[in-house]
Amino acid sequence: MKMADGSTILRRNRPGTKSKDFCRWPDEPLEEMDSTLAVQQYIQQMIKRDPSNVELILTMPEAQDEGVWKYEHLRQFCMELNGLAVRLQKQCSPSTCTQMTATDQWIFLCAAHKTPKECPAIDYTRHTLDGAACLLNSNKYFPSRVSIKESSVTKLGSVCRRVYRIFSHAYFHHRRIFDEFEAETYLCHRFTHFVTKYNLMSKENLIVPINEEENAAPGESEA
Amino acid sequence: MGTNSGATAGINNKPVGGAAVLGVGVANSAVGGGGGGVLSNSLGVSGGIGGGSGGGLSISGLSGGGGQNANVGGIMAGMGGPGGGGGGNMGSDDGMGGPGGGGGGGGPNNQQATTPQYTIPGILHFIQHEWSRFELERSQWDVDRAELQARIAMLLGERKCLESLKSDLTRRIKMLEYALRQERAKFYRLKYGTDPPQLNELKPSSNDDGGLGSDVATDSEVPYSSVSNTTWRQGRQMLRQYLAEIGYTDNIIDVRSNRVRSILGLNNNADHDGGGGSGIGGIGGGGGIGSGGVGGGGENLSPNINGNESNKRASESEGRHTPAKKVQQSNDAIITDTEAAVMANFEFLGTTEMSDDDEISDDLEMVATDNEDSDVKMAKRPKSGKDMLTEEVDGSLGLGELAQLTVNNESDGAYDANAKDGTGGSAGGAGYRKTWNAKYTLRSHFDGVRSLIFHPEEPVLITASEDNTLKLWNLQKTVQAKKSASLDVEPLYTFRAHTGAVLCLGMSSSGETCYSGGLDGNIECWQLPSPNIDPYDCYDPNVHSGTLEGHTDAVWGLTTMQNNIVSCSADGSVKLWSPYTKEPLLRTYTAAEAEGGPSSVDFVRNEVDHIVVAYNSAHCIIYDTETGKQVIKLEASQEMSGNTGKFINKVVSHPTLPITITAHEDRHIRFWDNTSGTLVHSMVAHLEPVTSLAVDAHGLYLLSGSHDCSIRLWNLDNKTCVQEITAHRKKFDESIFDVAFHATKPYIASAGADGLAKVFV
Repeated sequence: MKMADGSTILRRNRPGTKSKDFCRWPDEPLEEMDSTLAVQQYIQQMIKRDPSNVELILTMPEAQDEGVWKYEHLRQFCMELNGLAVRLQKQCSPSTCTQMTATDQWIFLCAAHKTPKECPAIDYTRHTLDGAACLLNSNKYFPSRVSIKESSVTKLGSVCRRVYRIFSHAYFHHRRIFDEFEAETYLCHRFTHFVTKYNLMSKENLIVPINEEENAAPGESEA
Repeated sequence: MGTNSGATAGINNKPVGGAAVLGVGVANSAVGGGGGGVLSNSLGVSGGIGGGSGGGLSISGLSGGGGQNANVGGIMAGMGGPGGGGGGNMGSDDGMGGPGGGGGGGGPNNQQATTPQYTIPGILHFIQHEWSRFELERSQWDVDRAELQARIAMLLGERKCLESLKSDLTRRIKMLEYALRQERAKFYRLKYGTDPPQLNELKPSSNDDGGLGSDVATDSEVPYSSVSNTTWRQGRQMLRQYLAEIGYTDNIIDVRSNRVRSILGLNNNADHDGGGGSGIGGIGGGGGIGSGGVGGGGENLSPNINGNESNKRASESEGRHTPAKKVQQSNDAIITDTEAAVMANFEFLGTTEMSDDDEISDDLEMVATDNEDSDVKMAKRPKSGKDMLTEEVDGSLGLGELAQLTVNNESDGAYDANAKDGTGGSAGGAGYRKTWNAKYTLRSHFDGVRSLIFHPEEPVLITASEDNTLKLWNLQKTVQAKKSASLDVEPLYTFRAHTGAVLCLGMSSSGETCYSGGLDGNIECWQLPSPNIDPYDCYDPNVHSGTLEGHTDAVWGLTTMQNNIVSCSADGSVKLWSPYTKEPLLRTYTAAEAEGGPSSVDFVRNEVDHIVVAYNSAHCIIYDTETGKQVIKLEASQEMSGNTGKFINKVVSHPTLPITITAHEDRHIRFWDNTSGTLVHSMVAHLEPVTSLAVDAHGLYLLSGSHDCSIRLWNLDNKTCVQEITAHRKKFDESIFDVAFHATKPYIASAGADGLAKVFV
């Protein structure tokens, strides 16, 4: 962490830091990160640098354990999805969206309950994110953040499938919110790339169209 | 003789019994030795030697027995003395008697010496002579025995008396404490117009009639001091009768006043002198207790004494600290401190009281098997101590009782150590201090947890994270994590409204409302859902009950006092709010440009309408909230020269004293006097910047967190570190963001950059 001039960079957000300076510090190379949270640090650093450069963000460093890489990315997705949920809370109420729908063809059942149930969309969104947070932080399935059991990696797929529905609901029923959010974060874009790249979801489930055609994941055609 | 030895199990009889058939020789004296051996190992050795060297003579068996007696009694010098003396006398009697007998019965014996033939009359004479000798000895033994029993009874009586005296004093002090509390509560009421919250919690049992009632400690601690009023009275009555029987009533009642002084440093010898040579006459009362019992009583007694001494020492040392304290500290704190010490004392006394009563008879066996048992006991005791602790924990203690727990634990330790080796002193004390252990892990945040706050009463807390959410946790709803002692807690509710990291939290004193400040510059107000809510319940938009808009940059500090909250922001301003009113923003305070932005803020707890704000200049400024004027600036030009790196990460106000505590980037914790504005104390507290501080509700302990991944608990009295716990991992160069005390329950918590929060008990 020593800089050329000998001064040490301390990557800290001290109390009183202005929000524009929050986390604004020189990048730290991954190989110099000795923390157990190195992958998270690295991913956040890449996103901070340029959220639109999805390809670069998703480029896995060499010698990186793929399970951890996917896991940490999914954590990051769920975390950022909180932002979309906050926006949806303002508009998506149980009276307007009584069911978790995406187009007219899809009604999703909330898996957070003992028996899946037709929660209103906002409840579905919250329950899914809360459930994902519990699962991804579960000491049982993910006790470590530096190595992940093969059996737990398979859990990632179902989490992806569920949280993706939040994108699709927002896209089809709260388009303005979706667009604003997407313009800031490129989150759906990144997510689609992610699940395609690591084959975590089948293509027919990716119902939100992604504009750019740069990758092998153009999404399904217009809904 | 045989009947006599059968009637009482005391060692005195054994040699006598052996002697009754002694003519037979070696085998018998060996039996006598063996009999001694049962009582204790060392006795067996001496008895064996006596038997061996005596060549089967009854005399040697007896003196061996006397030796045994002396050894057994040796624990109590006064006890052993007479016994040993008796044995010794007898031995010398024998020595004399042998020749004397020879002289008396001389004729036949001598003649027979010349004619080495035993005649019937000679043998008869010899047997007669022997018989009378044994009779004599027996009567002497009996006298000795009666004497010893009298002594036992007397000592037991005295002990009882001291105990009752002790408890009497305990109750008297409790009464005084209670009165003091009442006074303080009254004072508090007069001053603030409300009931003092902590005092009430501390003394739930204070409704008793003047302390004579169900006793001593607060109700959660009662288990070992639950001797009721009537029991006490009955006990004392019985004791009086008992003492009257012995004839010591007057003595003891006279001596009481002396005992008041000596009770904490009791002197054994004095007692023996006082009781010397009295009450030989048949005392049936002590009959069941042999001299082995005395030994047990002695052993039992000495740890008590020592325990008392160490306790006294503890309170003394507390007392010494108190005067050494900074002058500015008010009487209040001094009282609190001594109170804690005194309370600890009494809890301890309570413990011994109970064990005394129960163990008087048990100790008979315990002494006999002490050597093997003591290890087991040692292994067990601390555990049971812990159990008691957890019981107390469950019993909703006030946090001030942390102190008592700690000290109490210590004296328990001393007691145990003494019980084991009987050497006294507080040697084992230090190892038994209450230590905090991680019990709950709160994992559900995706990113660093910036802040946490406890509910004022419930075992409930809220965490705020850089993942833009707040979560509500109920520590009573846990999931057992596999392969570990700690419990995982699942969050009950996730609060979403912030669009950036959530940085700080505040909670209303009722625990109904919670406030959070975020990087987005907003302060959100939340109505806490029930702590028993289903985590996957329907979304209730009313939980988010308002937003305080006014800050234009990240809100970094937030704290509450009654209905008001004060916040500080990176926009350079400090704002006072009254949420849920028409115009929630009451006032804005801004410092001179040179001070830089505020980093942390707190209400001055012992002064209404004052707030203390820490600035980037590493100064703190106290404002009057009404006038908006600066009251005083806390600075120490020498200490703080060259402000670089001395940045204040957190400022907290002492709950009762006019003291401000600051956590600095240069690894220091500094203490400031609010009235003079001067630096009172400065200490390097961590290996890396100190990020967070919390003071317990009674102002006795300070908790600090640092980027060195550890939290430390400090005794505010002497500024020493009581415990260090490594709690969190680093993310970039940050580790611990916040620490907290529960106001009424013994919980502490830490929040870390690794996305976890931990609760320690």
